[in-house]
Amino acid sequence: MTERWQDEPWAKDMWWSGKTTRRTFLGLGTAAAGAVGATMLVPAPWRAAFGQARPYKVGVLQPLSGTAAAGGKTALVGTQMAVDRINRSGGLNGRPIELVIADYESKPDVGRRKAEKLVLEDKVDIAEGGYLSNVCLACMPVFEEHRTVWMIGVCLDTTITTTKCSRFVFRPFDYAPAQAVAISPYLVEKMGKKWHIAFLDYAWGQSTRDAYIEQIKKNGGEIVGTTGIPLGTADMAPFVSKISGSFDGIFGIFFGANAVNFTSAIYDLGLTKKYKFAGDGAIAESTHLPALGQKIEGFVGINRYVPVLDPPLNTPHHRKFFDQAVAALKQIDPSGPLPDRYVQSNFEAMNFLKLGIQRSGFRGREDTMKLIEALEGMEVKEGDDFPQGDKTLRKEDHQAFLREFIFTIQNNKHKIVEVVSKEKTVVPPACKFV
Amino acid sequence: MEQIIIQTLHGLVNGMVLAMVASGLTLIFGIMDIVNFAHGDLLMLGAFVGASVLGVTGNYWLALVAAAIAVAVLGALLQVTTLRPLIGRDPLTTILATFGISLVLQQYALWQWGPSVRRISEPVPGEFTLFHLQYPWYRIATALLAGLILGGLWLFLKYGKYGIWIRATTQDRVMAQAMGIPVPLVYTAVFAIGSAMAAASGVLFGPFAGVTQTMGFDFTLRAFIVVVVGGMGNLGGSILASIFVSLLEAYAAIVVSPAQAVIVSFVVLVLTMLFRPTGLFVPTPK
Repeated sequence: MTERWQDEPWAKDMWWSGKTTRRTFLGLGTAAAGAVGATMLVPAPWRAAFGQARPYKVGVLQPLSGTAAAGGKTALVGTQMAVDRINRSGGLNGRPIELVIADYESKPDVGRRKAEKLVLEDKVDIAEGGYLSNVCLACMPVFEEHRTVWMIGVCLDTTITTTKCSRFVFRPFDYAPAQAVAISPYLVEKMGKKWHIAFLDYAWGQSTRDAYIEQIKKNGGEIVGTTGIPLGTADMAPFVSKISGSFDGIFGIFFGANAVNFTSAIYDLGLTKKYKFAGDGAIAESTHLPALGQKIEGFVGINRYVPVLDPPLNTPHHRKFFDQAVAALKQIDPSGPLPDRYVQSNFEAMNFLKLGIQRSGFRGREDTMKLIEALEGMEVKEGDDFPQGDKTLRKEDHQAFLREFIFTIQNNKHKIVEVVSKEKTVVPPACKFV
Repeated sequence: MEQIIIQTLHGLVNGMVLAMVASGLTLIFGIMDIVNFAHGDLLMLGAFVGASVLGVTGNYWLALVAAAIAVAVLGALLQVTTLRPLIGRDPLTTILATFGISLVLQQYALWQWGPSVRRISEPVPGEFTLFHLQYPWYRIATALLAGLILGGLWLFLKYGKYGIWIRATTQDRVMAQAMGIPVPLVYTAVFAIGSAMAAASGVLFGPFAGVTQTMGFDFTLRAFIVVVVGGMGNLGGSILASIFVSLLEAYAAIVVSPAQAVIVSFVVLVLTMLFRPTGLFVPTPK
């Protein structure tokens, strides 16, 4: 008995010994051809069983260039965190998730084209993401036409789950009517009755303005005026200079660099000394705080997520998410910002899809209706998948309800002043699926 | 009346910053016939460099100078490597090249500095009461400083030896070359000066808002408008047009909504193209 099988007499003719004989060549050639042929003939399910599972293709729409690139890049961190976690734990139904990322350049027309490419050319099974509301509104008909589920990650325009709702589109986070219901009693009772609303003059800003006007009035408050400022205005001072008169506070509806420009303008002109300053939580995201410094001090906002580890966010689930998000954000931003609501909602959006796929046995687009039925009315509990808290994804309009945080900025940090339970944020559905 | 005074001040301050941006753009166009779509991104890059230098040294004025020099060097490199080989070709190629540079610079800024907004602190503290507002002195200082820089540029072009080279090349590049002026070097120098002006504008404007990789968008668009309204390649015309357009927008904000007020500059652009395509602030050709 020899040490190596290659040295056995029977193997002498098969093993390459320095010269290629006709017998060796024919033997190895036949074996190779047989192996290749057998692989081609094995049916797909068998291949799946042998570990070559076809991945779930998830199309992700984000603005990675153009005006909203900074937000899109941050939002993508949340999606990738969730997908990495799912793939590390063995994937879904034994299949890994493959992201197909599309940059829509912060433009609605490009967004629509990229959405079509995702469903027609890339043949994604499901879609996730979105950031700018006008792009989300432009892309919704594409996913509806091609019967593909789209789990939105950021877009906040109210009409996405009201007048323009779609059976194929879900919003697994809050929207302006719920936020307005949650914070308006606080605004009117604790800060003042008369408000001037300044807003970003496009789809999200306008629908959010309408929601706040309705709720502030409903709670006994008054809106003395509104100022809409176009998206991307570099110096807002000429426009905010017109804000004057006798009222209690300015309520701002801005996000991204526009939020920094607005806050700088009203602070520089002394308006934050004269009036109280409140607004959508997007004004005081963690990526803005270092730039705003003293200018944002005392701001009161509402947000679904604030990057603090104080109660009720002092859970091990949130700490795990927080630490992982800080590490992931550090890779794209050397200043090491804390996570914001864009990271949180994209992370949780992917986890909603994960649960939906697991519960429905979704295999691909042919099972879209099963996935929709599994997602409709889904109740999820606070945990590693949903570190922000419990949620309900309402069946009637595909709108999620979750707890809200009313916070203030003290010493350039978020401080929770009130937690509004998800039950207190519920507003009646206003959607009729076609 | 209150609003007219307030908006006049806003119009003048914004007009001076815009004039700084537009001066670089018009200088580059005047001498090289290059429509530089990356001009706003050079402004953004200057603001980021300024914010970084300010973060390290704590000295605003050093940040202003360092940003201008760094972006001037980058501008010179861009001109030599990317735009010089395109001289004499279809103008569309230079437009596409500068558009490409613009995208590269934005993505570079996002990669280098990340999505967080950066801050440039005001070098001049304090404010004064202006009716219902507290008007920051920094805004006034910005307008004055922009005026000084533009005045310095004008004096350099009018009386400086190299300024005369630039004007000679702008008027007749073949004759200038025949007279011994190193025209390719002048091109590079002008692109560097234009880039430095854009960078300085970025650092000056930084404290008004924040520093983001998209801050150049608005300026690029408005600078193009004033360069056309002022007369392509005409430095004085661009400065006057900047102030004129900014004042018009500010006054419009008194009577119409902000969304309508920003349309005013486009209306002026269309009217200029229709009735005086050579520009509003150039002498009528005889």
